[in-house]
Amino acid sequence: MLYIVLFFTFFSLFLYVLLGGADFGAGIVELFSSKENRKLNRDTIYEVMGPVWEANHIWLIILIVILWIAFPVYFNIIIIYLHIPLTLVLLGITMRGVAFIFRHYDAVEGASQIWYNRMFRVSSLITPIFLGMSFGSLVSGEIVITTDYAETSFAEVFMNSWLNMFSFLTGLFYAALCAFLASTLLIGETTGETRKLYSRKSAIYTVVVVLLGAALLMYGLVADVIFVQDFLSDIYSLSAVSLSALLLIPLWKAIKEQHSSLTRFYAGFQILLILFAAVNTHFPYLIITSTGEVNMMDDTAPDSVINVLGISLIIGGAIILPGLYHLMRSFSMIRIPENEGEEEENL
Amino acid sequence: MENLDYARLQMAFTLGFHIIFACIGMVMPFFMVVSHKKWLNTRDQVYLDLTKAWQRGVAIFFVTGAVSGTALSFELGMLWPEFMKHAGPVIGMPFSLEGAAFFVEAIALGFYLYGWNKLPETFHWITGIIIGISGVASGILVVSANAWMNAPAGFEVINGEFVNIDPVAAFLNDAWFTQALHMTLAAFAATGFAVAGIHAFQILRNRRVPLHKKAFKIAISFGAVAALLQPLSGDLSAKDIAKRQPVKLAAMEAHYETSKGAPLYIGGLVDEENRKVTHKIEIPKALSFLAFGDFDAEVKGLNDFPEDELPPVSVVHYAFQVMVGIGTLLMIAAIIFFISLKKKSWMNTPAFWWLFALLSPMGFIAVEAGWVVTEVGRQPWIVYKIMRTSGAVTPMPGLKYTFFLYVFVYITLAITVTWLMKRQIRVLNRSID
Repeated sequence: MLYIVLFFTFFSLFLYVLLGGADFGAGIVELFSSKENRKLNRDTIYEVMGPVWEANHIWLIILIVILWIAFPVYFNIIIIYLHIPLTLVLLGITMRGVAFIFRHYDAVEGASQIWYNRMFRVSSLITPIFLGMSFGSLVSGEIVITTDYAETSFAEVFMNSWLNMFSFLTGLFYAALCAFLASTLLIGETTGETRKLYSRKSAIYTVVVVLLGAALLMYGLVADVIFVQDFLSDIYSLSAVSLSALLLIPLWKAIKEQHSSLTRFYAGFQILLILFAAVNTHFPYLIITSTGEVNMMDDTAPDSVINVLGISLIIGGAIILPGLYHLMRSFSMIRIPENEGEEEENL
Repeated sequence: MENLDYARLQMAFTLGFHIIFACIGMVMPFFMVVSHKKWLNTRDQVYLDLTKAWQRGVAIFFVTGAVSGTALSFELGMLWPEFMKHAGPVIGMPFSLEGAAFFVEAIALGFYLYGWNKLPETFHWITGIIIGISGVASGILVVSANAWMNAPAGFEVINGEFVNIDPVAAFLNDAWFTQALHMTLAAFAATGFAVAGIHAFQILRNRRVPLHKKAFKIAISFGAVAALLQPLSGDLSAKDIAKRQPVKLAAMEAHYETSKGAPLYIGGLVDEENRKVTHKIEIPKALSFLAFGDFDAEVKGLNDFPEDELPPVSVVHYAFQVMVGIGTLLMIAAIIFFISLKKKSWMNTPAFWWLFALLSPMGFIAVEAGWVVTEVGRQPWIVYKIMRTSGAVTPMPGLKYTFFLYVFVYITLAITVTWLMKRQIRVLNRSID
């Protein structure tokens, strides 16, 4: 049963990174668009994301709830030492969510739209950066676990772990991934000139992702980040990343041909590969502190809890997934049904 | 103030904020589907306008409730990491089911909001029903997790560790039913009166009267029924608390001296230092009767509990008075509404509409007061008699700053949402009759 719970943990993480990511990315794409394209983008993403965006973000809640129920000790460390970046993530999620709904549900379309739009775009960029930073800091090797707060300074314990170059690059990398996902997704939702626009954007963001990914790895090597060293010596992680790099070739071809479902499939699959590579490297030691590692599989909740949770997740999943699938189908988020199914199996 | 105080204030503030949005997000879909059904049955344009206006309200409140709920799911851990470490697995079941229910709600909302003219009419309407049902289910599940903090069950504590965990027993703890019932009714009463009050005010101002009258009737029908049932549920809760958490009951009533045939105090000023209540109205033997159904039953007073296990008495007492006072007021208003269905002339007097317009915010004030009673009344415990709030708080210093950050953000949000609602009404009034 623990493995079912573990499956749902990473399943939720993947879907949040993918769907939530595409959602954030839509705002980032809008932020870095010319004035006339912004308006276009705003309307396009309302049509595409509108029905599903709220559901996309619930994966985060599911993830958090699973973590605290099944992996309480592991969760305890995350939630204490990443208090500040997570607060900033929450702030971003809040601003973004309300800005999205305000700009589309305000009964009067007036000057306030400018503010909603600004808030939406900026928080769309900031939130994934802090999310990425939070993940980066988990494996950065900078977390200082202590009970002696008199001996350590506030900065040492609560700032340095996330406010460092490695975490920041991870954050930027994730934000770029989001933009890449969103522009790729939007190729399939538009026609004519607009479609060309998103194809171009998708190509640009692919380059940005590759550059940032390379920068992240290079920095890790130079700065002796344990995680990066292990990453580069792990055969599975390395092959997953290489495969995702290889997949860039068919992806570019598909982008050029403005193929709506293939681009979407490749992009999703690449995220899966990158996430797999990142998690696989150090699983189950998914916290690397300044002095050691924390095994998330240690001190899991007792079997009675895991069993009930596993059953709840299976039942919940059986209700939610078909519903979600149907919702995405109805509003054409999913173009080729087989693809989504494959991605889920691969996880 | 210490870090602990700021952590408590932040929790109280964010919960207080979330509760309002969650209640509206949970109850308004029911108004919306009733109006929607009437549109389907009568094809009266007014009902369609109303449904669409309420739908925008639902969307705005759902999202605000959802993001503040996401923040809360993190905050539980961020502010109270030790609590979550030990209690998280025990109360995980209602939370994971709540996650599922919430998900269903979001999916149904996606279908509903974007399904106009795209989905078959009946299916579209049913997705609206699903929004309401799953919303109420989420509410009940979350309250059951809170009830566990008042009536811990389903585990044993050995050497500070929570062992032999039975998540189902924890979920179905002694307090879950009374608390969930009380809160669900409260949500319906508060939202019903709030929405009805807003429409009553529009009627007073003579704006699109036929539409607002229809809206008023739908909203107040839910609110009035809930307000009439609420005292019964309150009685169940009081008897339950008398048995399980006698110290909370004593604090609610500011009852210091253990006595048989204890009197009930209405109002009064609590002097915590001298342990006295002045300026109160006393009803002989009523407390014994309300708590135990026996005029001569013994009710334990605050003086018989250890000093370090007492909650802040005055806060709990005043909050309780506010809750019960408003509850009574709403019950009377509900009766007036039901009489007005027979005596139609009442509805033509401005006084009738003024009454409901003025009552608009009352339900929510009572909801907040009720949560103060149950949460502050449980102090100094975070898990009653098991874990102290002070032992659960995060070691991170400087919570002052996050507290002010949340206050700033949420107050701005509250103001914006209120302003948006005003704009919604203005636009609704402008659309052609």
